[in-house]
Amino acid sequence: MESLGELERSVMDQLWSRAVPLSAAELRDALADRGLALTTVHTVLTRLEGKGFVRHDDARPRRFAAVASREDHAAELMHEVLGQAADRQAVLARFIGSATPGETEMLRALLADTP
Amino acid sequence: MLPLSALLLGLLALALAWPVPAVLSRARWPRRDPVAALVCWQAIGLAGGLSIIGALLVHGLSPWGGSLPEAWWAWAQHWFTGELPAQPVRGDHWVAQTLAAVLALELLGVLALALVRTARTRARHRALLELLVHRGVDEVPGVEARVLDSPVPAAFCIPGARPLLVLSSGMVEEFAADELAAVVAHERAHLAERHHLLLLPFVAWREALPVLPAADRAHDAVRDLVEMRADDVALRSVPGPGPRRVLARAIVAAAEGGAPTGALAAGGGVLTARVTRLLDPPEPLPRWARPLAVGAAVTLVLAPTLLLLAPALV
Repeated sequence: MESLGELERSVMDQLWSRAVPLSAAELRDALADRGLALTTVHTVLTRLEGKGFVRHDDARPRRFAAVASREDHAAELMHEVLGQAADRQAVLARFIGSATPGETEMLRALLADTP
Repeated sequence: MLPLSALLLGLLALALAWPVPAVLSRARWPRRDPVAALVCWQAIGLAGGLSIIGALLVHGLSPWGGSLPEAWWAWAQHWFTGELPAQPVRGDHWVAQTLAAVLALELLGVLALALVRTARTRARHRALLELLVHRGVDEVPGVEARVLDSPVPAAFCIPGARPLLVLSSGMVEEFAADELAAVVAHERAHLAERHHLLLLPFVAWREALPVLPAADRAHDAVRDLVEMRADDVALRSVPGPGPRRVLARAIVAAAEGGAPTGALAAGGGVLTARVTRLLDPPEPLPRWARPLAVGAAVTLVLAPTLLLLAPALV
């Protein structure tokens, strides 16, 4: 039995790679090697909708699409990670924050000066 | 007449609100022993809160009794019995009581709010990451390091029950293997020592007390000290003959590849301090210094506690 997290990844991978809205049945068929029940696919889609990654249209049957592309989500996340929000370092410890151009110069000089 | 213990608590609060943080944030020794300095900052935060709230409480409740536990009990009873104490209760007593309650609620409330908010932001990041990242870099046993597709070299970790360590694909591709190991060791040190918990109260209180320069100073100092501490821990597990230089190279490379910011970027200066510290390590503090600092920190927290619990001195 696969975890819901793994299934969510597989469903999102399908929605991202196919780039057209898919019905739950189409998704089940696309993931046929996993032998999923239709209700399981619906559960996963509902969870993904709740998290704001997927939306559906009003066609019959409903078709599901990714809200944003994988690249957009990655860019959004990186923007938040590298952003200057005051509590960022308490939320996620990033390796370094951003450096000013002057500081980068100085760091390079420091590294070159010491053997 | 102001009770002596309220006066002493007030003086302590004043010292912790201005001169003590100012001196500690300018001192040079913390970068020689970040652990001792971190203990001191935590003590300053705790003792500062205790003493200002304590001073207001002791004064506000002074008509009801000499010592705080006794006065509190009498004060709580008076709401039911309606009896006022023998000493007259003046307006300033009520003001002090109210201020104490407001301040205590604000400090604790803001802390709780910050806890909830960071937990929620982390959960959102984690949900997004679990869909986006792929399993990568296996040379990190214990912590799963995942790779996020992005050209900007970046590394970060999300603390929690299942910590998540993420490297950008840009960093994995551009960085040498030993530099990558240094970055991962640094991030693992943050996770292992729960640095986010040391920083969180200061994030919260800086928001709660925007007029207090000490809150800003304390936050920035703690933020920088946990980075230096993570550097120190990382050095132990970086392979090769010159771990200090490897970590310094990694910091410089991350700074060069990162998105540049305006001249007023928060945290400017700490990168220089970290790299200088790595390349030209300062003399470690003498052996007696750390026990001394920890002793001072314990005394700092005990002093207001005893002043609150002991019977009033006058």
